[in-house]
Amino acid sequence: MIEYIKGEVSKEEQAAFEKRLAEDKEFKAAFEEEKALWEMLGSVETPTVDPKVKTNFLKSLDIYKEAASSQTSIWLKLKVLWNFQPQLKLSYGLILLCVGLGVGLFFSKNHKAEVASLNTEVSDMKQDMVLSLIENPSATERLRAVSLTSEIKSLDDKVIDALFTTLNYDSNENVRLMTLEALTELADNPRVREGLVKSIVKQTSPLLQTAMADVMLRLQEKSAVKPLQKVLKQDNLNSTVKDKVEETIQKILI
Amino acid sequence: MLSDNALMMKVKAGDLDRMGLLFERHYKQLFGFLFRMSSDKEGSEDMVQNVFLRMLKYRNTYKGDGEFKTWMYHLARNVLNDFHKSNTRQPNVSEYDHSIAAEDPSLEKQEEKELINKALSQLNEENREILILSRYQELAYSEIAKILNISEANVRVRIHRAMAQLKTTYLKLAK
Repeated sequence: MIEYIKGEVSKEEQAAFEKRLAEDKEFKAAFEEEKALWEMLGSVETPTVDPKVKTNFLKSLDIYKEAASSQTSIWLKLKVLWNFQPQLKLSYGLILLCVGLGVGLFFSKNHKAEVASLNTEVSDMKQDMVLSLIENPSATERLRAVSLTSEIKSLDDKVIDALFTTLNYDSNENVRLMTLEALTELADNPRVREGLVKSIVKQTSPLLQTAMADVMLRLQEKSAVKPLQKVLKQDNLNSTVKDKVEETIQKILI
Repeated sequence: MLSDNALMMKVKAGDLDRMGLLFERHYKQLFGFLFRMSSDKEGSEDMVQNVFLRMLKYRNTYKGDGEFKTWMYHLARNVLNDFHKSNTRQPNVSEYDHSIAAEDPSLEKQEEKELINKALSQLNEENREILILSRYQELAYSEIAKILNISEANVRVRIHRAMAQLKTTYLKLAK
């Protein structure tokens, strides 16, 4: 009946259906009931989406684009920071910083040193921003925090620890995946490498387990073999993950 | 006007700005689906953004051989699964009821809407999802079949079954 209401029937089916409607009273009554229920269902409205959803997405898109490009001009960095308007305190701090540094720059003869100093300040503020955003209840904000780390040249241990906490315990799979990607970029740091190996056994989602195996293979990390073998011993291990982990161990050991 | 598919292929090729247009075209409809499936307004607003961020992240996996909308709903269903797994909060039905009450002055109609909404929320997830895709998202059987990875014949059967369950639940609540 619904396919008739939705117009998803062929001409022949439609004709046969209408013929039956005209001839069979019980069928017609059942159809009227179904149609009424269908219409009633359609009368329930959806609440309006908050306009901030669109604004937030467009901001995230800008940040994503900027993170994707390799541009690192100071203006760009300031623009990225400015996009995080909810963090008013930091934004005001940033304005004061810019004014202060601007005046400083004006009077200074050594512009290079000032620019370097500005870079350090901006980097520090970004690290503070990451630490603040990464604890935000909204997954989107946490994703922003993680993507922002790619903008920072040298990460503090505090930020690295926060990233590992997110990788191991964040409730959102997307956030965990993006964090894994961000940490992989930092794998030259022995501390990060060690943390990634330790994190293997903490992952329970098949997607993360597979991604983790990929990362270990890419890093050719021999110390990952033991934790990967532990993963293989887990109860109810997804069969695709099992194959992937076994293959990874073999390739690492070659 | 460029099709969704053409826009997404441009995004894949690196023209990330086009994602803004795709968002504009689909975010309200997607919010409707996520809200009806989760009964959580704030959570759904977050999920809408997550779906589009996933599109950016996984843009290289977009093949362009199917409908963009089908791909979008695949991602949305994954995001929704993650949401259900991580969210133990009870659905907020009162927020929903209030929005209806404010919009419809007729008490009888309002009660009817509340009942049908309640009946819909009491269906099992499979039945609720197929009715939402068909009724509110206004998708054709062929599109639903691709999203759910089932045959069109199976879509017909499931919608029939879901309507029967909805009717029984509604009548029970109306007593």
